[in-house]
Amino acid sequence: MKQLETDVVVVAAGLSGLAASVAAAESGARVITLEKASNTGGAANMGMGPAAAGSPVQKASMIEVTPGELFRRHMFYTHYQVDARLVRAYYFKSGDTIAWLQDMGVEFNSVRPAFRARERTRAYADGEYTWHVVQPEDGSEPGPRAATTMTKRMTERAQELGVEFMFETPATELICNDEGAVTGVRAKDKDGEDIEISCSSVIVATGGFGANAEMIKKYMGFEWGKDLFSFAIPGMDGDGFNMCHAVGAGHTPVTMEIMYQLPDNMNHFYVEGAFRQPCYWCDRNGERFMPEDEIFNTTFVGNAINHLPGRVGYAIFDAKMLKHWKKDGPDIVSHVHPHDLYEGFDEQWERDLADGYEPICQADTLEELAEKAGIDVDGLISNVEEYNAMCAEGYDELFEKEREFMQPLEKGPFYCCKQFVGAYGTLGGVLVNHNLEVMTDEHKVIPGLYCVGTDACTIYGDSYNYCIPGNTMGFCLNSGRIAGENAAAKLFEY
Amino acid sequence: MNLTINGQQVEAAEGASVLDAALDAGIFIPHLCKHPDLEAVGGCRLCMVCVDGASEPVCACKTAAREGMVVDSEAPAADRVRRMAMELILATHPTDCTGCVKYGKCELQSMYQYMGVSPMRWRVKSRPVATDDSNPLITHMFTRCIRCGRCVRACRDVRGVGVLDYQHTENGIRIGTDGHVTLEQAGCRFCEACIEVCPTGSIIDVLGSLRDDRSREDNIVPCRSGCPAHIDIPEYLRHVKDGAWDDAVAVVRERVPFPESLGCICTHSCESECKRNGLTAPLSICRLKRAAAVRDTGSWKARVRHEALTGKRVAVVGAGPAGLTAALYLAEKGHMVTVYEANEKVGGQMRYGIPAYRLPDEVVDREMATISEISQGCDESPRIELRCGERIGDPVALLAAHGGAFDAVLVSVGTHAGTRLPMSGADLAGVYLNTDFLKAARQGSPLDASGHVVVLGGGNVAYDCARTAVRLGAASVDVCCLEAEDKMTSTPEERAEGAEEGVVLHDAYAFNSINESEPGSGRVGSVTVQKISRFYFDEDHRAVTELVEGGEVTLPADHVIFAVGQKPEDTAGMGLELTHGPYVSTDAALRTSVEGVWAAGDCVTGTKSVIAAIEQGRIAASSIDEFLGGDGDISEVLTDHPEHSPLLGKVPEGYYDGRVEPASAEGVVRAKTFAPFEAPYTCDEARCEASRCLQCDLRLDLHAPRLWNEY
Repeated sequence: MKQLETDVVVVAAGLSGLAASVAAAESGARVITLEKASNTGGAANMGMGPAAAGSPVQKASMIEVTPGELFRRHMFYTHYQVDARLVRAYYFKSGDTIAWLQDMGVEFNSVRPAFRARERTRAYADGEYTWHVVQPEDGSEPGPRAATTMTKRMTERAQELGVEFMFETPATELICNDEGAVTGVRAKDKDGEDIEISCSSVIVATGGFGANAEMIKKYMGFEWGKDLFSFAIPGMDGDGFNMCHAVGAGHTPVTMEIMYQLPDNMNHFYVEGAFRQPCYWCDRNGERFMPEDEIFNTTFVGNAINHLPGRVGYAIFDAKMLKHWKKDGPDIVSHVHPHDLYEGFDEQWERDLADGYEPICQADTLEELAEKAGIDVDGLISNVEEYNAMCAEGYDELFEKEREFMQPLEKGPFYCCKQFVGAYGTLGGVLVNHNLEVMTDEHKVIPGLYCVGTDACTIYGDSYNYCIPGNTMGFCLNSGRIAGENAAAKLFEY
Repeated sequence: MNLTINGQQVEAAEGASVLDAALDAGIFIPHLCKHPDLEAVGGCRLCMVCVDGASEPVCACKTAAREGMVVDSEAPAADRVRRMAMELILATHPTDCTGCVKYGKCELQSMYQYMGVSPMRWRVKSRPVATDDSNPLITHMFTRCIRCGRCVRACRDVRGVGVLDYQHTENGIRIGTDGHVTLEQAGCRFCEACIEVCPTGSIIDVLGSLRDDRSREDNIVPCRSGCPAHIDIPEYLRHVKDGAWDDAVAVVRERVPFPESLGCICTHSCESECKRNGLTAPLSICRLKRAAAVRDTGSWKARVRHEALTGKRVAVVGAGPAGLTAALYLAEKGHMVTVYEANEKVGGQMRYGIPAYRLPDEVVDREMATISEISQGCDESPRIELRCGERIGDPVALLAAHGGAFDAVLVSVGTHAGTRLPMSGADLAGVYLNTDFLKAARQGSPLDASGHVVVLGGGNVAYDCARTAVRLGAASVDVCCLEAEDKMTSTPEERAEGAEEGVVLHDAYAFNSINESEPGSGRVGSVTVQKISRFYFDEDHRAVTELVEGGEVTLPADHVIFAVGQKPEDTAGMGLELTHGPYVSTDAALRTSVEGVWAAGDCVTGTKSVIAAIEQGRIAASSIDEFLGGDGDISEVLTDHPEHSPLLGKVPEGYYDGRVEPASAEGVVRAKTFAPFEAPYTCDEARCEASRCLQCDLRLDLHAPRLWNEY
């Protein structure tokens, strides 16, 4: 067993752990950062940038979003179901955090709302300009993964400040003294050797349990791979969540940022993208469940599917719609899926049909389609009849879907694809205060223990707050930074 | 040789490439297709550098370092080519990494983090390729492939196997086998080097095959981690393959002092971990150990640890595998050891529990003699004194601190008391306990086993009893147990061999009663059992049985043998803290509640296996040595461990076949004798069986490239 000693141990080097490491080291603490993987950045390496209010970037772009305004918007959205002091601490720190990142050499391409959308579909239309999209190092237009440039700069800064990264070395448990204060961490290096690090503070930043099917079942009731197809980033096994609870951390509800997805979607990306259109969406009884012009709002659709019988939806279009999209481009443009969606569609569709990819089917008649897809045949036929009649009228009596999208299902072959609940990782579970100190269920601080990032992210309420885009990264950065500063400040009490 | 890289003076070895020179000097230059164990090919074009002010960049991996060379990896021309190369890689790589098992450990991810490149200048076109999970052990997810060719070179150049290559398909160039056949059809060795060198998540271990609770090394070589004593199995199987019997035995002996006994009777949990379970049958590891042990000439003996005498004395109470193992290693560390054994001979369960047809006395005698010999070494007198026939009731009194003569005491008394279930008829004449029955048979004064014999229990000991009863001339032998067959703790081999000898199994039966032959006779006449639909342990660890109505069966029985567990005999009076009834309570270093007294083996762990007892003996020896002022290091190097050759070559004939079966007497023949029925492998058989080993450990010899964040 190897024995080490330092001031602050940060458990995991994702975005929140990097922020905590840099912040603690900047304030004079000696820092050891344990990371299960061999790369830094964690889930943030997939993202594009964080949210902030009152940042230099916003000011330069003449975007007036004050922390107080954002705070109120957030609390309206969550109906004050979440810790106002924690939300306040985050937003009021966020503008300065952008400047802090700029000082590390991170450049921001622009501040954006989530996605542009029509006025009718308000959810995103009135989204705030909070999303600070990172400028890739090579000067190119930012796309997915743009935030890696930020995690790289943060890693470099941490290394300059003397932070010692230990890769492929997961923490295994927290060490407490007799008074219940956390005084160290145990870990296992890549050769399986045990390490014990004593320190004055531990900052847990392990990113939830999105890859732990057992815990997802236990805390959320989903069966991964059956009625849930969420991101499962290797290593996000709930290490921090379990570690904190093992030393008496308090509990908060755990949620997921629900969206929707196909099983093994990366290998069926053209199919997944092609169906995300305002065509005909129904449940297994053939009944529509939302105005399809909202299907780009992944939060809404995911939540809606979650409440359908069997937690499954069905997207259906006909040959005419496909022809229209091939010719004119998609009605709704996905920023995630390939740009050449309908050029690559036929090839992938034929192959997936031949391989028997379960979620999809094709038929010349709606009856046959319903049978193949497992939709109630009479239900689908009568509902589509009604819908086609409304299309002829040009008005959706059921949901007032936008008129231009009222296209009937009439010309075979018909295409159908099941749609399942998807999600990003898990959120919350560990009770913290606005200093990111971990508390017991009685709201007593556990000395020496901080929890940051998604394990501590209890600020959304029931759904991801899409109208303040960049929120998850924003919370990770700022919670990590706050905890790092507080952990270091403890060392130098005057 | 001196050159300048990015303004820094760098020394390089003759023949080194510019890339190696830079990396060795701690200057990071991006690269993907180059791997520490593979020849450079200059394919990925990430390691571009400009040399001596030239405007045309070159691949650093393919450029030899020269004296006085001036290299600039950050020159705009080099940077431009590098970025474009990365953009093109990303343009065909899935944009969403979240479903990938390599996330966080992916070299491509690390590289794009370093370079900050986005593919946005290009038409992004991912190339979906169906996941191929039809092969054992290795899954191909070529949608993620970046065509760096590392797997091709590892398979062809490092291993000499050559089953992977670039293949032209309708959807462009991809990696695969010639003719798109399965890996087995192509002649794959399943050495997994391709997985190890893949920089992305394109070639991966079959999902779910790596356990989170094990280290990387333990996952890659699961047989070694599955062995309680962590014998270096792939290493000794290589020696067996080469016919180097002494070297093989030496490797085994570096961890355990009973190679031949284990080769006869080990419960071989290594075999259930063996990765060949995914192909055909696992390696016959246990038998290969025996094959080497029977041909051992002892050339390793000269290397046995033999430290100077310390003047300390240790008493070992109980001469089973745990006690004798500890005795040997303590003696090697220079301590004088006295072993007390209640029975007339040493061996514990190896002699008095396990039947002679599985482990004859000669083997135990021989291995004991070797222990005495090697521990004495060149000393004038033995370091281990055996005192058989002496039962120690109060081990604490042996300690000097308590008036005795020893500095430390190890209690390793095993579990020699059988368990009689508290059921109707359990005390009738003709009802035996497993331990009494087996011991009597081994001592040459067997208990009467004539007529119909019913054994109650489903473990290996139950089968030892049943098969012993067969050999003693029973008319019929029935084994009844609570567990359904797939849940039974006995090995499938035991059950199959027992069946061949005429043992009839009644699995999933509850024991209702043992009945008198005639009312008032006091003698057993039959056993009533009842079929159960389900058997489990509830939250309080109580056994719960769900009976099948009308499922009662009464079996005729002249003799009934309880084989439902064993426990330690005399621990209650020892003055040691106990746990779970009669078991000795210890800490992880096997210290008991009394300072100076250790305990090890079955009396601590409950009845387990010889190999588990040996490992306990090792732990105890190391811990006692530290207590006596030693360093606790009992490790040994009994043979040379040269570097492994990474080359495997083409598959030999029979590589995908099942196990080689050694000569074995037929059931009807062996049922009449206590002589061992299975012959050790012949030399050829052993070498043939050992050549089936996948040599998973070679994967650990491959080097992991250092990522930018480690420079």
